[in-house]
Amino acid sequence: MDDLQQALSQIRLIKHQVARSTQFRGYGPRSVAFSGLLALGVAFAEDAWYPDAQHQLFASLIIWTSTAVVSLALSAIDTIRRSRRVHVEFASEMLHIAVEQFVPALVVGVLLTAVLVRILPNEGWLLPGLWEIIFSLGIFASCRFLPRPMFAVGVWYLAAGLCSIIVCGGQKSFLAWTMGLPFGVGQLLVATVLQVCVEKHTDGI
Amino acid sequence: MTSLAAHPRGLTFNELKTFCALTDGNLNRHLQVLADAKLVVITKLTSRSRRETRCRITTLGSKRYIDYLAVLEQILQDAAERRKVVALGKDPRVNSQG
Repeated sequence: MDDLQQALSQIRLIKHQVARSTQFRGYGPRSVAFSGLLALGVAFAEDAWYPDAQHQLFASLIIWTSTAVVSLALSAIDTIRRSRRVHVEFASEMLHIAVEQFVPALVVGVLLTAVLVRILPNEGWLLPGLWEIIFSLGIFASCRFLPRPMFAVGVWYLAAGLCSIIVCGGQKSFLAWTMGLPFGVGQLLVATVLQVCVEKHTDGI
Repeated sequence: MTSLAAHPRGLTFNELKTFCALTDGNLNRHLQVLADAKLVVITKLTSRSRRETRCRITTLGSKRYIDYLAVLEQILQDAAERRKVVALGKDPRVNSQG
C-alpha cells in the first residue's frame, strides 16, 4: 500500500471512530410517531371490524407483518434522507452503525417467528410478547448511540413484552391490543424522545 | 482534535497529554488556540482536593473537524487519482496506443 492509500485508510479509520462516538440523529420523530399511530389504528380496526383474526394466527401474522413492513419502510426512507441531511459527510458511517446495532434484533424476530409458526403453531400467542422483548433488545443495543432517555423506552418494551405474555397466556390467543398498545405507545415515546433530545439540537454534524 | 472528536463527553488534560504525546506547555498552548476559536471548551473542576482540567469538543468544533477531514480526504483521493493517471501515462502500452 503506497503512502496516499495509507493516509486515506487512516482518514477512513478516524471517520469511523468519530462516527462511533457521535449521537445518531438520523431517526425522524415524524415517521416514528406515524408508525406508533399506525399500530394503534390497526389494533383498533382489527378489534372493531375483524375480531376473529385474534383467534387465527395466520390472519394476525399477515395483518401485523404488513403493518411492520409499512412502518419499517417509511422509517428506513426517512432515516436515510435525514442522515444524509444531518450527518452529511458521515451519513454512510452513521447509517452503517445504526443498521449494525438494530438489524440483528429484526433478523432474530423474523427467524424466531418462522421457527415458532412452523414448529409450534399453537403457541403463536407468544409472538407479540417475544417481538416486544426482541425490540427492547434492539433499543438497548442502540442506546449508546441515541439520547439517554431512550433506555426508558427499552424498559417500556421489555415490560410490555413480559406483560403481553402474561395476558395472552391466559387467553391463548393473539390479541390485537397486545401488539397495538405496546408498539403504539412505545413508538410515540421514541418519537417524543427524538423530538425533545435530538430535533431541537440538530444543527448539522 | 481526533481524540476529542472520538470522545464527545470530553477528556482530562492528562488523558489528552498521553494521546497526543505533548508536553504540558505545548498542549496547553494548542488547547488555548482551539478554545479561542470556540472549537473546544475547557473546564476546570476541583474534586476531592484535586484540580482537574477537562476539554470537550464543541458542536462547531465537531463540524469544522468533519469538514476538515472531508477536504483532506478529497485532496488525497485527487492525488491518488492523479498518480494513477501519471503511472498509466508512463505505461509503454498506453504510449504505443497514443
